[in-house]
Amino acid sequence: MKHLIIGAVVAATVFTGATAQEITLGRFFGACEDAGTDTKASSGEACIIQSIINAADAEIEGVSITTLPTDWGNYYDQIKASYAGGTPPDVHVMHRHRIPEFAGLGALADISDDLEAAGIDRSDWSENALAAVSYEDGIYGVPMDFHANLWHVNMDLMEAAGLVENGKPILPSSPEELLKHAQMVKAATGQNYLAADFAQFPLGVRLVLALIWQQGSNISDGVTASLNTDEAKAAVAAMTQLFDAGLADPQLNYADSQQAFLNGEAAILVNGTWVVDFYSAEAAKEEVGLDNYYVADFPTLFDTGATWADSHMWAIPASLQADEEKYQAALKVLAFINDHNIDWARTGHMAVRTSVLESDEYAALPHRSEYTGTAGIARDTPPSKRYGAIQDVLNRELQAIWLTGKKADVALADAEAEIQDLLDR
Amino acid sequence: MLNRGYYWLITALAVPAFLWLIPTIWMVSLSFQPNEVLARTTSTTAFGLIPLPFTIENYVALFSFGQTPLWFLNSLIVAAGMALGVLLVSTTSGYALARLDFPFKKSLTIICLIGLMVPEQAVFIPLYTMFADLGWHNSYQALILPRLAVPIGVFLMMQFFKAIPDDIEEAARLDGVTWLQIFWYVMLPLARPAMMTLAILTVLYAWNDYLWPLVSAQRQEFFTITLGLASIQSNFAQSEGLGRVMASGVIASLPVVIMFLIFQRYVVQAMTVGGSKG
Amino acid sequence: MPEKHTSGRRMTESQAALVLLLPFLATYALFLVYPFFRGIWISLHDWNLMAVAFNPDAKEFVGLHNYERVMWGKDITWGALISPVQQVIGVLGFGLSIFLHRIGWVSKVTAVALGVAAILLFVLPGFHPAEGGRWYDRRFWPTVGNTLIFVGLTVPGVVVSALLLAAAVNRETRAMSAFRTLFFLSQIMSVTVVTLIWQIMFSPRQGLIANITETFGGSPIVWLTDEHLAMAAIVITTIWWSLGIAMILFLAGLQDISKDLYEAAALDNATGAKAFWHITLPNLKRTITLVIVLQVILQFQVFGQAHLMTRGGPNDSTQVLVRYIYQTAFRDSDLGRASAMAVFLFVIMGAFSVLQFVLGREED
Repeated sequence: MKHLIIGAVVAATVFTGATAQEITLGRFFGACEDAGTDTKASSGEACIIQSIINAADAEIEGVSITTLPTDWGNYYDQIKASYAGGTPPDVHVMHRHRIPEFAGLGALADISDDLEAAGIDRSDWSENALAAVSYEDGIYGVPMDFHANLWHVNMDLMEAAGLVENGKPILPSSPEELLKHAQMVKAATGQNYLAADFAQFPLGVRLVLALIWQQGSNISDGVTASLNTDEAKAAVAAMTQLFDAGLADPQLNYADSQQAFLNGEAAILVNGTWVVDFYSAEAAKEEVGLDNYYVADFPTLFDTGATWADSHMWAIPASLQADEEKYQAALKVLAFINDHNIDWARTGHMAVRTSVLESDEYAALPHRSEYTGTAGIARDTPPSKRYGAIQDVLNRELQAIWLTGKKADVALADAEAEIQDLLDR
Repeated sequence: MLNRGYYWLITALAVPAFLWLIPTIWMVSLSFQPNEVLARTTSTTAFGLIPLPFTIENYVALFSFGQTPLWFLNSLIVAAGMALGVLLVSTTSGYALARLDFPFKKSLTIICLIGLMVPEQAVFIPLYTMFADLGWHNSYQALILPRLAVPIGVFLMMQFFKAIPDDIEEAARLDGVTWLQIFWYVMLPLARPAMMTLAILTVLYAWNDYLWPLVSAQRQEFFTITLGLASIQSNFAQSEGLGRVMASGVIASLPVVIMFLIFQRYVVQAMTVGGSKG
Repeated sequence: MPEKHTSGRRMTESQAALVLLLPFLATYALFLVYPFFRGIWISLHDWNLMAVAFNPDAKEFVGLHNYERVMWGKDITWGALISPVQQVIGVLGFGLSIFLHRIGWVSKVTAVALGVAAILLFVLPGFHPAEGGRWYDRRFWPTVGNTLIFVGLTVPGVVVSALLLAAAVNRETRAMSAFRTLFFLSQIMSVTVVTLIWQIMFSPRQGLIANITETFGGSPIVWLTDEHLAMAAIVITTIWWSLGIAMILFLAGLQDISKDLYEAAALDNATGAKAFWHITLPNLKRTITLVIVLQVILQFQVFGQAHLMTRGGPNDSTQVLVRYIYQTAFRDSDLGRASAMAVFLFVIMGAFSVLQFVLGREED
């Protein structure tokens, strides 16, 4: 017993080093153990971010970084628990949509006055990126990307259905056309037209949200919930017509839908920007069913373009400002990540720095030219301190429609009432 | 007894027994198959129940990268710490309640037993805020301390000490030995089987506990193997690979399975006593 | 052996007891009694997890407001036939408990417990929001309902299969002891390993069950995302996991049944199933009751299976009470409401604990 404890202590010291300023870093994105320190060679979200972190650990003088990866499902539960327990990581990733909740409670450090000294040029951030990390009058993080829902396309299936023109996929411009295209793919290939995670994470839900936004509507105006609307019903119907006709399977979860697409069992996969490099790599493999991969902006089925988008950013707990040296070390880590914006963009995410966005290196990234329109149509639900709970309601009630056959108007009315409760609190 | 009916019974039981084992066999088998193969199909040979193609790569990777060895160590520390603590707390109080006479004994016994009614889920939130106020989360004491005051352990030891004949103690008393010495030199050695039972019950509990570690340990360096496994199973498809996750599952189960096979008698006893009274 | 002491320096019996009790009393008071009352205290506050952590004064005393928001609603009324099925079962159950007691099948305590449960079944489902009214928290009672369904499916499943298995393997031979070990083995695995295995088992694309059905030409069943099958999948998993302890308890009960009874019955040609029905079951009545109560308490605490396998879905069909408490506390940061639910959980489980205690007493 004693030996075990000593062993653990020894191990802990060896792991972290004794002299440098030790920074703990919390993140999701999954684990990557052999990421190395070459930020140009890694691929996939987990390994790219870990290679950047490893490089920061190796290159920043006097700073050593311990990564505390957390699984996706419990990330915010755990980060909140760690804040409440007084042991938040010194630097952690979070989403733009969580800023009102965390900054509103005073959990995050306002870093606006320290950016310049840390070598972070905020004027290089795009306007949207600056907005993403701003809350009231402060700046609460360093933005890392924009990520959005894209349409990932299997060109071979589309070609077979006659839905390719000039090397580009022909995408629907109305719900009716969506159904028609889906029937054409089914008739020509026997495969489903569209796949997405409709059963687990909210990717399918974000798809429906996009269709609501495309009609100029939203789930609320921040005060009054408005989900039991004709727009929402039309958006839901656009999807359920595919399920009802057997042209898409609502019961696939994230892994299943991805597998279906990679196996060549679906012409379109609706998923985020984060998988572009992964799918490109998979498509190049002999044994993978997907051969001809293309990325497209989310098509406009109604009036105006819109697709769900969010932003990853890095924040520092407010409590760290009491320890000046540590705070400065944490800022250095943020600056390092900011400097490697181009490497992170390799995942498929959109960069936040104008200098990166305009660089040739960025334009040369695989498939990048195929979804340039996405930045212009990026949308999200209104900011709220209860964003997480609201998303949970949307996920539950919308999934109920296609997974359990709950009537759309009942589900939408229920969702509206529950979101109203959350807004009223 | 070994008649034809008996062999029929064995044959009839073999079917459900095999079905019962299949999930476990499958886990073990998957853990010995290459991840690249599993990404495409999980039923290469005999529905995947036979590990062909075969590899030990998953286990090698498990111990060369990743936190599984650390989690494993954490689980050992927590289980051992909890077992020692529970033994200390339960034997002393069990003895006092069973064999000593003192004021308010009866009401104190009842108060202790009322604790049996309080499920951990009813106190995990206040415990969380308590440990947060103390700044104790992400530590071994946070994982161990809340689990020491288990009335069931007191009850178990109390029942045991009650059953010891009076004359053993009286002989010692006539020699003028103090109460504490009687406890230490006479009672504890006698109580070894009961302590063994309680220790095993505690280790099993500690090894498999999920809710409290989930709430208290936010940092992977303080994850127990049970918690660590939960954290990697939610994104196995994306990063770790199915074979690796299954290998972690096997590693997480191995110690308790081995312990069970060695101490089966005690485990069964522990379950019987704990089950019927706790 | 220790040396003799002079009686003057010796601790009195009470002092010794105090010293020996101290470690337990300290941990008991600190980690069980105090948190318990603190939990009740939290439930009386509007208490945000993070806000209160940053500023201890950020909580607000709200009395029973949290209980009202969780369990009550606007314009709640009561009717005798709102949920006819449950309520009629309640009335019938009440009659049955009196009847069973009259004919001497069940003891007074059991009859009272059954009667109380029946009354609750009649009263509780009768509450409903009137026209224009609604429950403040529309998820709470359905969550309680799901938990009850889970318990209602799992407990009989565990008890019946464990009983049959125990009766089958109740012989002192090597083969039978191997069977006992085998059926018990899954019990000692942790919930994360169990859910890991079964999550993949049930997967429509990678799962063993799907692989087998597809080989025989069937289309794979989507277990975990189907509203009706998701709960079934969790129940199957749980039965596989927690059958062992029930089997062990039944085996202990079976050992207590005198062999003479079976020999006497054998003279009357009552062997096998007949003997099981006429001798084993009546003599195991107490063990069966105990196992049922124990399993109810155990299964009421279900969390890991629902949290890891289905995340409470689809459409909340596998959302259970402990998971709702966890979510309310750590996702929604609302410790006040979460604590109110935890107190509710304590009341229900406490009632079963009392029942178990009383039943245990009856034996002595």
